[in-house]
Amino acid sequence: MSKKEVRLFIGPQHPGVTGNMSVEVLLKGDTITWAKTHIGYLHRGFEKLMERRIYIKSFPLVCRICVPEPDTNEENFARALEELGGIDIPERAKWIRTLVLELSRLQMFIMWYGGIAGSMGLSTPVQWGIGDRDYILDLFEELTGGRIYHIYIMPGGVRKDLPEGFEERVLKVMDMIERRLPEYDEIIMENAVVQKRLKGLARIPKEWVDEMGLTGPVARACGFPYDVRKDHPYEAYPYLDFDVITEEGCDAWAMLLVRRREIDLSINLIRQIIDRMPGGEFQVPLPNVLYWRIPPGETYVKSEATRGEFGYYVVSDGSDKPRRVHVNGPSFVHGITLLERLLVGQNIADVAPIMVSLQTCPPEMER
Amino acid sequence: MGLKEVLKPLGAWRQVARRPHTILVPQRQREAAERYRGFHVNDLEKCIGCGTCTAVCPNDAIDMVRVPGIEPKKGDSGFRPRIDYGRCCWCGLCVDSCPTMSLRMTNEYIWIRDVPDDFVYIPGYDIKGFENKEKGYRKEKEHSFTHYHRVPMRELPPEERVETFAEVVLGYAEEEARREADRCVGCGLCIAGCPDRMHIPDYIRAIASGEYERSVNIMYENNPFAELCGKVCTRRCESYCSLGHEGDPVAIRWLKRFATERFSDLKQVIKVKKAEPKDKSIGIIGAGPGGLTAAYYLALRGYRVTVYEAMPEPGGMTMAGIPKYRFPFPSLKKQVDFILSQGVDLKLNYFVDQERFRRLMKEHDAIYIGVGLMKPWTLGVPGEDHPNVIYAIDYLRKVNFNEPVEIGKKVVVIGGGDVAMDAARVSRRFGAEVIIAYRRRKIDMPADHEEIEGAEEEGVEIWEKIIPLRVEDAPEGRVKLVYGKAKMVDQGPGRRPKPVLIEGEEYELVVDRIIVAIGQQADLSFLPPEVAEKIEVERGRIKVNHRQMTSYPGIFAGGDVANRVADAISAIADGLRAVKGIELYLQGSMD
Amino acid sequence: MEILERLRERFEVLEEKVQRDDLIFVGTTGKNLIPMLVYLKEYEGFKTLVMISCVDWIEEGKFQLSYNLWAPKQKKNIIVKVFIDRKQPNFTTIYRIWPQAEVYEREIHEMFGVNFEGNPTQGEELILEDWDDIPPMRRDFDTLKYSMEKFGERAPKSRINIRREISEQYDEWRRK
Repeated sequence: MSKKEVRLFIGPQHPGVTGNMSVEVLLKGDTITWAKTHIGYLHRGFEKLMERRIYIKSFPLVCRICVPEPDTNEENFARALEELGGIDIPERAKWIRTLVLELSRLQMFIMWYGGIAGSMGLSTPVQWGIGDRDYILDLFEELTGGRIYHIYIMPGGVRKDLPEGFEERVLKVMDMIERRLPEYDEIIMENAVVQKRLKGLARIPKEWVDEMGLTGPVARACGFPYDVRKDHPYEAYPYLDFDVITEEGCDAWAMLLVRRREIDLSINLIRQIIDRMPGGEFQVPLPNVLYWRIPPGETYVKSEATRGEFGYYVVSDGSDKPRRVHVNGPSFVHGITLLERLLVGQNIADVAPIMVSLQTCPPEMER
Repeated sequence: MGLKEVLKPLGAWRQVARRPHTILVPQRQREAAERYRGFHVNDLEKCIGCGTCTAVCPNDAIDMVRVPGIEPKKGDSGFRPRIDYGRCCWCGLCVDSCPTMSLRMTNEYIWIRDVPDDFVYIPGYDIKGFENKEKGYRKEKEHSFTHYHRVPMRELPPEERVETFAEVVLGYAEEEARREADRCVGCGLCIAGCPDRMHIPDYIRAIASGEYERSVNIMYENNPFAELCGKVCTRRCESYCSLGHEGDPVAIRWLKRFATERFSDLKQVIKVKKAEPKDKSIGIIGAGPGGLTAAYYLALRGYRVTVYEAMPEPGGMTMAGIPKYRFPFPSLKKQVDFILSQGVDLKLNYFVDQERFRRLMKEHDAIYIGVGLMKPWTLGVPGEDHPNVIYAIDYLRKVNFNEPVEIGKKVVVIGGGDVAMDAARVSRRFGAEVIIAYRRRKIDMPADHEEIEGAEEEGVEIWEKIIPLRVEDAPEGRVKLVYGKAKMVDQGPGRRPKPVLIEGEEYELVVDRIIVAIGQQADLSFLPPEVAEKIEVERGRIKVNHRQMTSYPGIFAGGDVANRVADAISAIADGLRAVKGIELYLQGSMD
Repeated sequence: MEILERLRERFEVLEEKVQRDDLIFVGTTGKNLIPMLVYLKEYEGFKTLVMISCVDWIEEGKFQLSYNLWAPKQKKNIIVKVFIDRKQPNFTTIYRIWPQAEVYEREIHEMFGVNFEGNPTQGEELILEDWDDIPPMRRDFDTLKYSMEKFGERAPKSRINIRREISEQYDEWRRK
């Protein structure tokens, strides 16, 4: 470190919607010459706690691993336990789960859409994003009984059936959001500030994608059609009709475009799901959850979160508690390995937009 | 990029003219959704304090505490959940696993206090003002963590049953038993219902996890007649099962039967720890379940034990009274043989009379009386000494010992207890047409409802509200029962209605045999007068203290002769309790 | 599966399991691990390292390291497992093959105490700060005991055992 360099901590407060993490940077003038990610501000030891709890008690925990998008965790963990415990769930449960997952992706994208603008100092879309997301949270409240932590997807299916008239209300909210989106586009996509700052920002070399294991919108913005919903179809995704969204820009602008198009795709998928929702049971009875033992075995299940591939590695030793649950969120690579390299050469004002573009989520890095 | 991109964002100003999405709290309250998971409420009347909510709570937010005004009783621990909202995460797992469905959540989410301790409270007891909220998260019976439906027990079809003395109940298959055992939430409320305090949740959990040997060993800790109980127990435990409030109780009896039946050689399964032999001997009169239980545990503790039995086979009433379609002889033999193999000396065909009793008192350091009730109650109506009037207890004994009995084509059984059911169903197996005549209604019958249903399935007719008046001779070697009808007179709340004869009406019924099954009494004539006068007898039963000792030091009693419940499990419990009593007595430290 | 045959030809395969159509588990020895990973990366299309995980088998005195690879073309996961001695948890880094392995190894070092030789950053704190006990994800680390000692009065209170209480009460009640 030469004497002309300044060491600066950015964080751990939220710059935009990045969560509580901090980046330590070395600055030469306004240019970052070295960066290091520091996490640990949200560490609650979930993986350790889960090893000491019977399986069912872990469900109120796993949803807290990613606050804005809890359902991916619940679904992943439930699916892992079903695979190890040999439980087949009914068709309707799969479709309801897919609906919940897509709703959760949609609300996350809407919040993110406002958040990326917020990271550049445009505070209007942030309020819009959080406000419009609340309409989806209302739907969650009605369906699951909770707004943020749903604890709704459980092994064997889902906890409750769809309330009466729920489908229509979902469609109404979709229409409402679709009407609002052009207004967002007007102040974000068609905004000179956003375009000027994001185009060419955080350009990712294409070879990093496979080498570092980048997934989700980050990989898709580099032209790689990586989408777990297609690559490893789970729940009702194999029956849905959609194409993987890719962009070629490899930069923050391309990531914005991917996510913007993902919003449309989610709305489209939700309409498809509502349209084709089958009847029947939504749950199969579990063994007595207080004493539920899962046969020894291990598995890795994954699903597509808004940030990328979200995986659960579950090892059971045949007892009523898991031997090991390793939660692998996409942010672990995006937020540490990739971010540390991407920041070099950028200036300090661009740290927040880069972090938001990569959509770092600290709770899934430090479980 | 040009001027357009600079001007476009100004479109956001359009929002100024629109109505805001937000609402002003607290001027306007927003009601949460129908199934919102808000503050808990608990129906204290329905709650039984089983603690399942505590067991499933992921955050240790629920404690079970005493609540003033709620006393523990059978089937209710007297505890109620207290929730710490500093720990609660509103997941609702407690609601979904509440067996009685007393706990639910309201959609109330705003509650403001400046004292943190106010957020630790007992829902339902500490009134917070949202008790009457109807909306909120509730458990759906069929979609919850509780399994309310019992795995059905397979039985012989009624047409086949009446042809044979084979066991009616076929028993669970392994998968069925494990599924049934897995329903148990392990609350332990049943333990208080069992006179013998068997470790029910433990052995059921062992069955559920497939550890059958461990399960049987747990049973043998305090019951050497586990298989007997698995077949014919009055299973009062099941009526206190927490699942029984909203669904079927766990089939504790059938599970015990399943586990014990798996092992034909108990010696290889039961791990006994025998104490050093002691120089004391105990005499036990009557080889019924109570006497043999006492003998088993006394033998394990190193005492010399001799059991005296008047009948040619051990087992007491379980040998002589219970029909073989409920309790087959090989099963009894297996259990008795195992008890005898622990060094218990058994003297059969040894009727203890006064002379012999005096001798036993000299030979033994303590005596346990478990003679049961062998003398039937009589009807007390004229003509009862008719040769065609027989007593169920004698009848069943003869059948079980394969002595010849003749009952003819049509019989009437008088009584409504288990013995009456047994006599009726045995008679059906001899091909007779059977009527059960009971002085109260069917719902008042003390017999096990499964026995009543079984009897009806097999074609037994049940006549209610019949009061026998006299017995008369009838032609062709038959007998005539003259009876009146009764009406039920309400005795006020909490007391069962009394049958009162409707005067002036008389009916006749001609049958081949009248089987009287209205109960048995003790026959204590074997006690020598100098002992008998010191033993307190209360309403036909020997009075004992909490250690089963009679008022004559060193003489203990138990089973039907001492308790009023008169079932096998109570006799076993008495036997077990007497073991502790005898031990303390012999050590000279009786409390 | 054919890939398993090819692996068996070239390396020592201790155990194998096809969990799903797109998920295979392969166990190998420590010596074979890096050659196998390189082989999978260069010749079998498993270009991406998804994660490295560690499992503590304390009863057997072993740590299990699981290397989860992903083949984007074939759309398959393979998890290569290797067991190392728990008493001397030393292993080799693979960060030269995949850069993100550096952080995964750093985390495992912090949480399990496994030493990855050659990893430049493994001693640095990732999540924990001023940690003063054994690595916390080890099975013998007792979270409750730690919080009792560290946070004393704030630790959870002891709870009553309903079943024992009921029995005791019943005793009393019967004596009456």
